[in-house]
Amino acid sequence: MTAMGYTQDQSFANEREYLTFRLDREEFGIDIMKVQEIRGYEPPTRIANAPSFIKGVFNLRGTIVPIVDLRLKFDCPRADYDSSTVVIVLNLARRIVGIVVDSVSDVLTLPSENFKPAPDIDTIIDRESVVGLGSLRDRMLILLDIEKLMASHGMALTSDAIN
Amino acid sequence: MSDAQQHGGGAESDFDLTQFYQVFFEEAAENLDLMEQMLLSLHLETADDEELNGIFRCAHSVKGGAATFGFADVAGLTHQMESLLDRLRRHEIQPNSAMVDVLLQSADVSRSLLARHQAGGIGDLPSTEALVQRISELALGDGQNSAPTGALATAPLVRAVKPELQPMALVGERTLEILVGPLKDRAQGEAIQELFRDIPGLGTIEALACDQADMQKYAVVSSTSSDELLDLFEFHVSRSQVVIKDVTKTWPETPTDFADAVDVFRATQLQPGTMALDDPPPGTPLAPSPGFGFFDGAPGAPMAPPVHVTSAAEMPASQGKTVEKSVAPLAQAEAATLRVSISKVDQLINLVGELVITQAMLAQNSRALEAGQFPKLMAGLADLDRNTRDLQESVMSIRMIPMSVVFSRFPRMLRDLASKLGKKVEFVTMGESTELDKGLVEKITDPLTHLVRNSCDHGVEMPEERVRAGKPEAGTITLSAAHQGGSIVIEVRDDGRGMSREKILKKARERGLEVSDQMPDADVWQLIFAPGFSTAEVVTDVSGRGVGMDVVKRNITALNGTVEIDSAEGYGMRVSVRLPLTLAIMDGMSVGVGKEVYMLPLSSVIESFQVKADAINTVGQGAQLVKVRDEYMPVVELERVFQIPRTDRDRTSDIMVVIESEGSRVALLVDDLLGQQQVVVKNLESNYRKIPNVSGATILGDGKVALILDTGALVRRSRH
Repeated sequence: MTAMGYTQDQSFANEREYLTFRLDREEFGIDIMKVQEIRGYEPPTRIANAPSFIKGVFNLRGTIVPIVDLRLKFDCPRADYDSSTVVIVLNLARRIVGIVVDSVSDVLTLPSENFKPAPDIDTIIDRESVVGLGSLRDRMLILLDIEKLMASHGMALTSDAIN
Repeated sequence: MSDAQQHGGGAESDFDLTQFYQVFFEEAAENLDLMEQMLLSLHLETADDEELNGIFRCAHSVKGGAATFGFADVAGLTHQMESLLDRLRRHEIQPNSAMVDVLLQSADVSRSLLARHQAGGIGDLPSTEALVQRISELALGDGQNSAPTGALATAPLVRAVKPELQPMALVGERTLEILVGPLKDRAQGEAIQELFRDIPGLGTIEALACDQADMQKYAVVSSTSSDELLDLFEFHVSRSQVVIKDVTKTWPETPTDFADAVDVFRATQLQPGTMALDDPPPGTPLAPSPGFGFFDGAPGAPMAPPVHVTSAAEMPASQGKTVEKSVAPLAQAEAATLRVSISKVDQLINLVGELVITQAMLAQNSRALEAGQFPKLMAGLADLDRNTRDLQESVMSIRMIPMSVVFSRFPRMLRDLASKLGKKVEFVTMGESTELDKGLVEKITDPLTHLVRNSCDHGVEMPEERVRAGKPEAGTITLSAAHQGGSIVIEVRDDGRGMSREKILKKARERGLEVSDQMPDADVWQLIFAPGFSTAEVVTDVSGRGVGMDVVKRNITALNGTVEIDSAEGYGMRVSVRLPLTLAIMDGMSVGVGKEVYMLPLSSVIESFQVKADAINTVGQGAQLVKVRDEYMPVVELERVFQIPRTDRDRTSDIMVVIESEGSRVALLVDDLLGQQQVVVKNLESNYRKIPNVSGATILGDGKVALILDTGALVRRSRH
């Protein structure tokens, strides 16, 4: 903890490449190394009794992959499914998961001086997963530890999470 | 073993041996396992020459390999074992249970030593001194007088009894050199010869020249066992005065030079059905003897490539059969197998899986074509369908190995356990040739081990108690495996004291579990799966701590299997484990509800029929029944179970599909029967988690995912 009470993950302060995407009006950045591919959205096979933000599972070249709609998870006002809807397929320590986002922007390298610690505010996003803020000229990126986020209890993706 | 040192680590030699280490470790492990099996099934009084030779060859093989690779500790110990076994097979001494025990122990220590080497030499070094000492003692004595140590004093009555009867000790014809003496006079020697010739069918006997004055040497050609010959000689001399040496020309055990070794190699080429590889026949060491200099100054010497022929899983399956027969068929069976890495097999299975999906897609899309339009195409697709089906059956069977692999560990375990507890146990196995996927075999071994130990520890009573109860002194534990529908059923049965209903109910109440005296037996027995449950009065280090049965149940449930218990107090207990045969590819029936498609394992489907709403009766708030011929069956509405949204209000489910699982039947209510097809079973849990009532997922011809229903869960759900 720094003197101002901010939490900070030092490893994320180093220069990294981030894939940026949009959920409603907010922009997020995630470690590009965790991204396997980016696809369009196809209606997946529904899973009964799953939380609403888990849309179901789909077939990724023979592997069954669950899809999580982050817009629903983060209570965004709209979650449309049209030709511009994007699914980011993540490869996280041998678990493959897809997340539905509004759009994908660019891949950028964030210099360390643009990395700001995450403020201690109340947000719907799992606190542990927000590692910092990226400050660019006219953009603010919410930097996420996407691996931690997807493994968190609230995501309900793992058996231990569900109990 | 000093010669072996120069090959230590392969650093000095021009030839890098380390690449062959893995192969040696695997082979040595197999040889030690085989030796253990043969030792356990050895008949002490009527020890067959083939049995003794077989055991000798295992030790010899491990010794040779260990020496070649510079594992002096293993080579040293196995050399001692080999010496003892050599004396045994020459009938210089008689086998007894103390020797079997020390050989079993030595095999264990050899395994530990090898494991240590495999792990890079870390860990404690087990001491071999005491063992070596004991082995020499036993080898020197005539075996009859050796005093067995400690807990091994009681000759444990554990034999693996196969339903096929043990064959009589028949051996092939052998050429023997028999040395008899010291004799009182020449007349004695002649009397022996005459006696031999008097008995018809015994063979031939010729007196040979002999240096020692009071000794007589004979050349005998006979197919009678050495034991019987000794019986014969006993008419005139005592057994200790007779030494039988087998000089029959078979495999040269230790080719004395490379030329011989090459001859041996070539001999295997002549056997039909062997692969044309320069492999030494099993039983001969990689280098004929330590210090042979096989690799000296021989860069690029023609060493057999790592792909070689050994028996792998064939050996355990043939235990009890081939072991008692002669060697040559054994060598042939071994030569017809191939060692392949599991990842290659899995890759192959995946590819075949993809092929099945593609073929199903082609089949589906071709249905849109008119029958007569493309006759050649349709014929080709029909062929493809057949070929794919055959290919996939073949490929799936690659991973299947017989249950005997699992069963083989139990004779030894029970022998040790029974003797430790002072009990007498007979172990019977049935259905060892039942096949099971390799992955399942690995996971089922621990739970089964626990169940068998349980039967021995808690089930089978002490001999006196059994006799008092009018039972035979030795308890019987039966392990059986059989296919039933799409499952494999493994049973552990014992004729011990069974379980006490009262004790269990009492214990359950103590633990605060909800029980009633009216509970049916089957449910009472299931209580023992609760964590921490144990009615054992005394906790032994074998079992009784109550951590066993719930872990067993959890492991089996994780394999999508079920456990059932049946018991009768005083008579015994039976635990049945039912597992789905892991099929990455299965025959499925697709059903539709609303806009969704679900898949049922075809093997669970009994029948289907159309039904009217009034045919469904309700019982007490919601439970529904439907009458099928004379039976009332519970109804499971898939629409309700899976909360399937209805867009078309008029459409309701009106088709019943009767499924069976774990002996019970339910009727599933669906909208449509869509079709039957072969599907590839995909794992949901690798990326997601276990979904209730769902056992997996599959990819349909149109690329969409369909969930595969867990018939067991659906059947169980309707029970409560």
